[in-house]
Amino acid sequence: MHTIALNPLATAVGPHLFWITSRAAGIAALLLASLSVCIGLLMGGRILKAHRPDLRVAHEALSLATLAALVVHGLTLLGDGYLHPSLADVAIPFLSGYKTFWTSLGIVAFWTLLVLGLSYYARNRIGVQRWRKLHRFAALAWVLGLAHSLGEGTDAGQAWFLAMVAIVAVPALALLLARLQRSNTTSAPVSRSVDPAPAARPSVAR
Amino acid sequence: MRRRARRIRRAVASLAVALFATAFLIVYVQLASGHDPALVANAAKRHAATTSTTSTEATSTSATEASTAAESSSGSEESSSGASAVTTSQS
Repeated sequence: MHTIALNPLATAVGPHLFWITSRAAGIAALLLASLSVCIGLLMGGRILKAHRPDLRVAHEALSLATLAALVVHGLTLLGDGYLHPSLADVAIPFLSGYKTFWTSLGIVAFWTLLVLGLSYYARNRIGVQRWRKLHRFAALAWVLGLAHSLGEGTDAGQAWFLAMVAIVAVPALALLLARLQRSNTTSAPVSRSVDPAPAARPSVAR
Repeated sequence: MRRRARRIRRAVASLAVALFATAFLIVYVQLASGHDPALVANAAKRHAATTSTTSTEATSTSATEASTAAESSSGSEESSSGASAVTTSQS
């Protein structure tokens, strides 16, 4: 005769399907965004010069997949029977009563990624140089998303989650730090040359 | 070139679906087997609350029992001194 040891905490999954879907979509979004940031930094830092068109296509596809996963992450939460959030709760920062700071961080990261991501398709109107400067903030939005998942994520303390995130987020963080360091060291002489001494400035008649 | 781009897009879409499915499966199994971190934390909190309530109840019960015992042992003294107290207050 077999005896089955049942865990008293084993739960009927049915009522939690929306919650599980939201969590899975959030995890997928974080991993996809990390990969996208990695490729973006590799392209922007001119570390990988070969296969540039392929990298650009991959970066774009990963960004769009991230946005789709984030939409699923937010919208499926509306069906959760425990939290019962409204659309405003998941779309407007500092409105939700549940872990307000971390939730707001995630919402701000989402809107920033959405605007900066979709601005790619209007870069000719914005101006390519200006768009490039703006697009750098996408990395900041990714950092906010990472903080949101580690601060609020249900699975943030789980070994499998931390391992999954570390595999893609650590290289992205390293690339981001390297990029920031490089831009700091190169920005000093550039700013001197951009802003010449007053005597050297040509006088402009107004 | 276009075909290559399409292949990359398809690979990314497959990767996204695979990541979502893997995460979904892990969370599902975690929840079904009773190892979900949120539910475990909730259960621990509830258990701690129940334990503290029970211990408070036990303490109050033993205190009541002790006072009852004390009352019964000094019952005769109270009845005699009770009258004097009333007398004192009246005067």
